[in-house]
Amino acid sequence: MNPLFIPQPDTIPVSWGWFQFLLLLTFPLHMLAMNAMLGGLAIGLAQHMCGGTLQKQLAHRIAIALPLVIAFVVNFGVAPLLFVQVLYGQFLYSSSVLMGTFWILIVPMLIIAYYGAYLYDFRFTQLGSAGPWIAALSFFLLAAIGFFFSNNMLLMALPEQFGDYFSHKNGTLLSFGQPQFWPRYLHMLLGALAIGGLFVALLGRFRKDLHPDLANHAEEVGLSSFLVLTFANVLIGFWYLLSLPNELMLLFMGGNVGATIAFGVALLLAAGALFAAYKKRYWLTFYHAIALVVVMTFMRSWLRSAYLKDVFTLDQLQVVPQYSPMIFFFITLVAGLVCLGWLIKKTRDVFVLEGKQG
Amino acid sequence: MNYPVWYLPETGGGFLIALISILHVFVSHFAVGGGLYLIYAEKKGLKENSQPILDFTKKHARFFLLVTMVFGSISGVGIWFIIALVNPAATSLLIHNFVFAWAIEWVFFTVEIGAAFVYYYMFGRMDSRTHLQVGWLYFIAAWMSLLVINGIIGVMLTPGSWAQDMDFWAGFFNPSFFPSLVFRTFIALMIAACYGFLSASFTADAGTRISMTRFSAKWALVTLVFTLISGLWYLSVLPDQSQGLVMGKSPTIAAIQPLTAAGFVSFLLLMLVAGIVRPSLNLKPVAGLAMISALVVMGGFEWTREAARRPYVINGVMYSNSIMKKDLAALNDGGFLRSALWVQNKEVSEENLELAGEEIFINQCYACHTVGGINNDIIAATRTMSYRALVSYLKKIHELRYFMPPFVGTEQEGRALAAYIAGGLHGKEVQEPQQDAGSVAKGPALFEENCASCHALEDLSSLQGVAKEEIVAMLRTLNEISEEMEPFGGSVEAHGQLAAFLGGHTDTAQQETAIDGKAIFETHCRLCHGVEEMAPMIGNIDRQEIFTLLGRLDQLESSMPPFGGTAEEQEALADFLASINQGGK
Ligand code: HEC
Repeated sequence: MNPLFIPQPDTIPVSWGWFQFLLLLTFPLHMLAMNAMLGGLAIGLAQHMCGGTLQKQLAHRIAIALPLVIAFVVNFGVAPLLFVQVLYGQFLYSSSVLMGTFWILIVPMLIIAYYGAYLYDFRFTQLGSAGPWIAALSFFLLAAIGFFFSNNMLLMALPEQFGDYFSHKNGTLLSFGQPQFWPRYLHMLLGALAIGGLFVALLGRFRKDLHPDLANHAEEVGLSSFLVLTFANVLIGFWYLLSLPNELMLLFMGGNVGATIAFGVALLLAAGALFAAYKKRYWLTFYHAIALVVVMTFMRSWLRSAYLKDVFTLDQLQVVPQYSPMIFFFITLVAGLVCLGWLIKKTRDVFVLEGKQG
Repeated sequence: MNYPVWYLPETGGGFLIALISILHVFVSHFAVGGGLYLIYAEKKGLKENSQPILDFTKKHARFFLLVTMVFGSISGVGIWFIIALVNPAATSLLIHNFVFAWAIEWVFFTVEIGAAFVYYYMFGRMDSRTHLQVGWLYFIAAWMSLLVINGIIGVMLTPGSWAQDMDFWAGFFNPSFFPSLVFRTFIALMIAACYGFLSASFTADAGTRISMTRFSAKWALVTLVFTLISGLWYLSVLPDQSQGLVMGKSPTIAAIQPLTAAGFVSFLLLMLVAGIVRPSLNLKPVAGLAMISALVVMGGFEWTREAARRPYVINGVMYSNSIMKKDLAALNDGGFLRSALWVQNKEVSEENLELAGEEIFINQCYACHTVGGINNDIIAATRTMSYRALVSYLKKIHELRYFMPPFVGTEQEGRALAAYIAGGLHGKEVQEPQQDAGSVAKGPALFEENCASCHALEDLSSLQGVAKEEIVAMLRTLNEISEEMEPFGGSVEAHGQLAAFLGGHTDTAQQETAIDGKAIFETHCRLCHGVEEMAPMIGNIDRQEIFTLLGRLDQLESSMPPFGGTAEEQEALADFLASINQGGK
């Protein structure tokens, strides 16, 4: 057998369960925001290119929301990236170095995409027909960032590939040649576009009383794209499942009780979401979809530990206990949520007042 | 050694870190100070009941949002990415130790984003009291995230007792925590004023432009004074070694200090002249120049702070090349390559000498040296050094140049690294120093091994003709010439040989024969005679007679065999014995 290149992990200050909990708490937030961003942008772009007034209005509304959404995609991404480094640092740092050249490119790509989004927002009308091009560039860059993330998240779970370092010392090793890569990436991407549909519908509903036409149009577009894309994504999901190494696939088909139950629940939720979308029941679709995303992130985490279980399990992390910083973190978190609540309340007051004034 | 090295030989990871972090820091300090600036600019507008000033403030807020939210926050993520790529071991250690500090910082970051958006989008739509409160919330959250990050960055420079027990709070509130926090706060305010100055130059309304230019310049000058004072405080709490580096011992730091000083002076003058005395001079290019000056000052500070903890990435704990200080002894005994994870050559042999050497270079030197790049190129740094010079240089690299970590590994690994640099990179000859008893190191070799790493022979031509004794005395007190040198560590004889070589004394040849003679004495006579007892024995016998006597020692004393070496050896031995005699006089 080839030697395995797996660094020694560092010690952690509290039991690994806390980090797993925080990871699974924050990662779905990142997923949902990312979905709103990518899906919203794609639908906005399509609407913009279709050309009708209503379509353009919808595209504009999406463009206005986009920079805010990107800010939260990044912000909600920081926390899970932090916690996953704590849990799986020895794999993630290594795989990041192995693809370092691409990994660091994410930074300039994101800056360009982000400025593109602001430009598209602030100059929506002035840009005219150049607008969609800028939006398309941003979309392409963001999807490419997702591509690199998928590469890294797969590579980190395949330490047996790490020996390829010696032929890629300049950090150019990617994992898209693996059979499970493309279904995995497409599953994510399509899922994002589908959930993005629900986000578009939600945007339309915002201040529905001022723009009932727009709201209806947004809901129509959003739900129907969700329906079609999710249906397709169920198929891709099966492709993904079949592309997994056998023992990992079997995990979800009776091999592990928890994983199998999660998979079963996910299938039910997907069916529920499809049905609700078909029936044009927005909130029902919405809740099913959110729950589905959350369950999917759990399955994803299961899969990762299964990939690594021969070389590493989380309980191997050595704890040098110091709990006070975590307690401090929870206190700060509550205070932060109170501040955010206050900001939302004050902003809503403004909207209410403006609504009254007409 | 625990993590793979992302190897871009000509670029070097340090350069990428510097590039991203200097830009980030310039924006992220703006993100902190700018919050307060906005509050006071808005207050000024409200107090003076001036719509143009409020319009200015709103426009500035938009600029602020675009710069800090996009470039600031993404480049912040960028720093995190780049340090994890370039220095995964240190990043991992810090992330695992301070994960909740980062998590707390994330909470503040979230509040910051929320408040920034509300502040900008609700400008003029919210009642001004609430709006100012949002501004304050923003500023406090931003300052708190500075505070948290300041704790983590500080631990890398001044770990204090954290280095022993890795206690979170001891590390967070490390010895430079408060000075650095105060210093950074003033820097943040100063930079915010600079951005305000820039915004003012873009303002069409002449009255507002002048009023906001003055406002910004006053703000900048006051904070500049406090930045200086707190900077001195900060410097005073640094450990001696770091202070030494900052005060000139680090070539890395010394190289940028004039630039930083120029930036500082230029900023000061611009603020005084184009800000206070004649604000009408604040045109776009002038403001641009002020921005560049401030960027240079900020960059100079960050650069200095990074370089001041060399040769460590975490002072006293982990070297820049990710080797833990506590592992040194074990690695020197057990071998570096054998304990390093990401290497292919686990053992050094004659066949893989240069390949193993390259792997050692990548793991130990690439952290600071490029290969053929602009930044601290190893090829340029070793141009004058031969293989033998490198072998001996590597043994004392840290003692000679504090800012470099010691070479870690076995003798053999040291030779491999020297072979890679001298042979692989320069194509120079790789030849082992001869170590058999017969030949003792000579002047040129001593020079090569002890001086050539820093001096070319031509540089020392002023020593030509200086008396040998004088040079010997100098070699004993090199540390008095420059703190960067140590007294020459060779034997008494080596002192003489080196001095003779440096002085260009013609007796070098004789000297060498004398030495050869001594070696022969060691081999042939030493078994029964000490050198000391020879002097009286030889007495006044002259050299020629000694030579003859050596051929028939058995006649002097039957138990002594006649000298059995070659004719030249007999000559040399005779020379040596004669010289003892002279020395004894
Ligand atoms: C912590 C950073 C760092 C590391 C690691 C490092 N160096 Fe250096 N090195 C420097 C700096 C800084 C200089 C001085 C550059 C200058 O004078 O401008 C230098 C200079 C040199 C020189 C020139 C001679 C001298 O003394 O100035 C040589 C040779 C050298 N390094 C070899 C090495 C070798 C071999 C390694 C690996 C074992 C290594 N360095 C590791 C920072 C480092």
